[in-house]
Amino acid sequence: MMSGSRLATIARKEVRHIFRDWQTLVVVLVMPVMMMFLYGYALNADAKEIPVMIEMPSPAPETRQVADKIDASSLFSVRGTVPTASDPRELFRLHGIKALFRFPSGFARDVRRPGGARVQVLVDGSDPNLGTIIRNAAEPMLLGATLEVLGVEQPKVLDLRTLILYNPEQRSALFFVPGLMAVILLMISALLTSVAIAREKELGTMGQLLVSPLRPLEIIVGKIIPYLFLAAVDGFLILAVGRVAFGVRIAGNPWFLGACSLAYIFTALSIGLLISTLAKRQQHAMFMALGATMMPTVLLSGFIFPVASMPLPLRILSHIIPATYFLEIVRGIILKGVGLKELWTPLIVLMGEGLLLMGIAIRKFKVKL
Amino acid sequence: MEYSIRTEHLTKSFGAFTAVDHIDVAVEKGEVFGFLGANGAGKTTAIRMLCGLLAPTSGRGTVAGFDIIAETAKIRTRIGYMSQKFSLYPDLSVAENLRLYGGLYGLGGGELKDRIKEMAGFLGLGDLLPRITGSLPWGWQQRLSLACANLHRPEILFLDEPTGSVDPVSRRNFWDLIHRLSAQGTTIFITSHYMDEVEYCHRLSIMIEGRIAAIGSPRDLKREHGCATIHDLFLRLMERKSDGSPA
Amino acid sequence: MESIVSIRSLAKDHAGEKALRGISLEVPDPCLFGLIGADGAGKSTLMNILATLSDPDSGEVRMLGLDLRKGFPRIRDDIGYMPQRFSLYQDLSVLENLDFFADIFGIRGKAKAERMDHLLEFAGLAPFKGRRAGLLSGGMKQKLALACTLIHHPKLLLLDEPTVGVDPVARRDFWTMLKSLRAQGISLIVSTPYMDEAALCDSLALLHQGAVIAGGSPAEMLAAYPYRLYRVEAAPDARISTLNYPGDKPPPPGFELIYPSGGSLHAAEKPGQAGDPLGRLRLAVPEAASATMLEPALEDCFFALLSGKTANAAGGA
Repeated sequence: MMSGSRLATIARKEVRHIFRDWQTLVVVLVMPVMMMFLYGYALNADAKEIPVMIEMPSPAPETRQVADKIDASSLFSVRGTVPTASDPRELFRLHGIKALFRFPSGFARDVRRPGGARVQVLVDGSDPNLGTIIRNAAEPMLLGATLEVLGVEQPKVLDLRTLILYNPEQRSALFFVPGLMAVILLMISALLTSVAIAREKELGTMGQLLVSPLRPLEIIVGKIIPYLFLAAVDGFLILAVGRVAFGVRIAGNPWFLGACSLAYIFTALSIGLLISTLAKRQQHAMFMALGATMMPTVLLSGFIFPVASMPLPLRILSHIIPATYFLEIVRGIILKGVGLKELWTPLIVLMGEGLLLMGIAIRKFKVKL
Repeated sequence: MEYSIRTEHLTKSFGAFTAVDHIDVAVEKGEVFGFLGANGAGKTTAIRMLCGLLAPTSGRGTVAGFDIIAETAKIRTRIGYMSQKFSLYPDLSVAENLRLYGGLYGLGGGELKDRIKEMAGFLGLGDLLPRITGSLPWGWQQRLSLACANLHRPEILFLDEPTGSVDPVSRRNFWDLIHRLSAQGTTIFITSHYMDEVEYCHRLSIMIEGRIAAIGSPRDLKREHGCATIHDLFLRLMERKSDGSPA
Repeated sequence: MESIVSIRSLAKDHAGEKALRGISLEVPDPCLFGLIGADGAGKSTLMNILATLSDPDSGEVRMLGLDLRKGFPRIRDDIGYMPQRFSLYQDLSVLENLDFFADIFGIRGKAKAERMDHLLEFAGLAPFKGRRAGLLSGGMKQKLALACTLIHHPKLLLLDEPTVGVDPVARRDFWTMLKSLRAQGISLIVSTPYMDEAALCDSLALLHQGAVIAGGSPAEMLAAYPYRLYRVEAAPDARISTLNYPGDKPPPPGFELIYPSGGSLHAAEKPGQAGDPLGRLRLAVPEAASATMLEPALEDCFFALLSGKTANAAGGA
């Protein structure tokens, strides 16, 4: 039997704590916005003006023209031309270039021969992503430039047309808004609830609450209600910033998205509660909550790395964490505009996990110290 | 007479509030001096000035013969400080805490080892060196704090409310150590608001609202004011003041 | 008279050690009952059990006519518990703290307003009701904590070392409040390391290493003091008037105990001693100028009761 007034008492007190500790409140409200801008720009992985150099022992007009084409591309910026590089590593070190194009002395002659000319591209592999971009771009660019210089038309054997569905411009905002929803909602709910309960234990006030007529369920539910609202505000904030600053529109039903988010927040709060039954101090609760939510969500939910390409053990883990299912739901609603008919499986798994965790948390919540 | 601590009109104001108001205190070498006052009377502010952590607004003073404004660095090597609130790392062992404090005061190698051995023997901590500090009873932790503060053989030991919840027997043992240190020539400057134990001091002062309201030996003070105990004297001096000041 | 708390053979292990070794106690109703003893004697462990926050390993406890194990939810309605550490919300104001505790005990409307006004008045906190609890002085925090434990008219108050770290004036005020509660018919169990507070109780139990080694009213405990007590003082013109006696030095001949107290020494003489006590005292304390007979105080009883048992109790464990 729960008493509504006692529940309201706990919730009201918790709201007071939240507003008294305005620094935390600011962090909670500003962090999602900040993360959105960070992800918005950091994940914009379109490489531009990569510094490169060209080794050109005999500057024939053909060689020069190909080199100019490289410089003219938006991808590369030629920092200089050397006749011979006795120690190529020296150039990487001194000029901070990421690639060196080495043309042979007989380039103008060789390109007209049947065997073709040998051009070597040295790539700085210390940043694997950048290395891959350079490698993938170098060959078609050199080939195209050389053919153009020679005035040769390549025979057409294949007409490849790719049509991208759901995110036709491949905008990263469409990709990180759902991801951030999953991360932030989980973090706020799990972290703040677990810390709020651990704080009562640390202060010794939990003893006072337990000695009173309050029932454990009243303490738990009363404490999580304010955080449920706070998390919902954050979710709304992410969607609003996504729309205003990054032009992300919700293709599906926003109310359905809201309902699914509440289910996810419920699951996240259960995780927070479970953590708080284990942690005795705020610090423990914080690290446990961060470890249990932030890392797995960012790395394993499919937010950044596709689940399908993970090794089996990680794939299994990824199918345990709630964020994976929530991400599927959010991407479905925002990008594809689908509804309950398509998303009922992840939704049921999500809610099932929430109920299971909440049940364990309530059972483990001690009536004694 | 050789003085370890001497202040003249020492004053500290925070805005319009005068926390320490023209205090004159002289503590002889080897004396156990009690520095009493209610919460918020200005004790902590005064101690921080004497330790060179806070510059006075006006007035002057010397500690161990050094000026508390100009020579704070020299003062800090000659004093030891122990507080009930912060002193030990509960997750370190007794020996680790001692080594840490010795290191902070520039002790090392064989010298540090000898001092730890000596101090552990003096305080009866020998068997406890490998124990985790937090697992020890409070009275032993208090002894360890004292050992840490005393490791570098300070001329003056500042004890800022060193005794909290301590029963008569453990408190008695603690004061026994204080007197043994005093007999070896260490000056002890101790704050407390536990009035029974401050009767163990050689001399004491009572601070009320930033001013020294009484100073002298416990016996003289009691005789002068016609009080049976320092506790009664303190209550009488406090009578005019209501308990309304924040901590 | 019906006991408000009745404990039989209560035992409890804490952190692998025997915190309570089968203690038995009766607390009459009403009573201001003092639990005294050194740190680690088991006072807090016992308080926690009585507050229904931890279960005993064995033994029986009846409180307010109910069995502790089965009846704890109902017991909780009638007790007020103030833990050792300040356990209110520091970021809430005095009024908000009181309001919160009134609400969780289901006190509403006019009754709540009256109760809160009364308690603010009682604790002398009315002028500070808007102040955040974290900004109160140590003494006022304790008064607020006491007010919060009183909000639901408990029949029994459990206060665990409520005055530790509190200055003498606030300590005196706090005990005045406890006395007036007792006069209103509320029973209180208070643990304290301070003997001057113990003297204010109706009845005492001295805990040592998890066992009750002495008990009774302060007068009974004083009457049971087995030694003849002297106060030993230095000469009035001595430069240093404060005497000390090293703890590891054996007592003077014919004396059981000698220890500093109030600037002088207290010396407890064994029964049946003949001859001049000052002469024997001077063998060990050359500065001693006088030895006056003295009525023992509870602190002297404490030393007498624990001296034999705490040969190695420097740490107080």
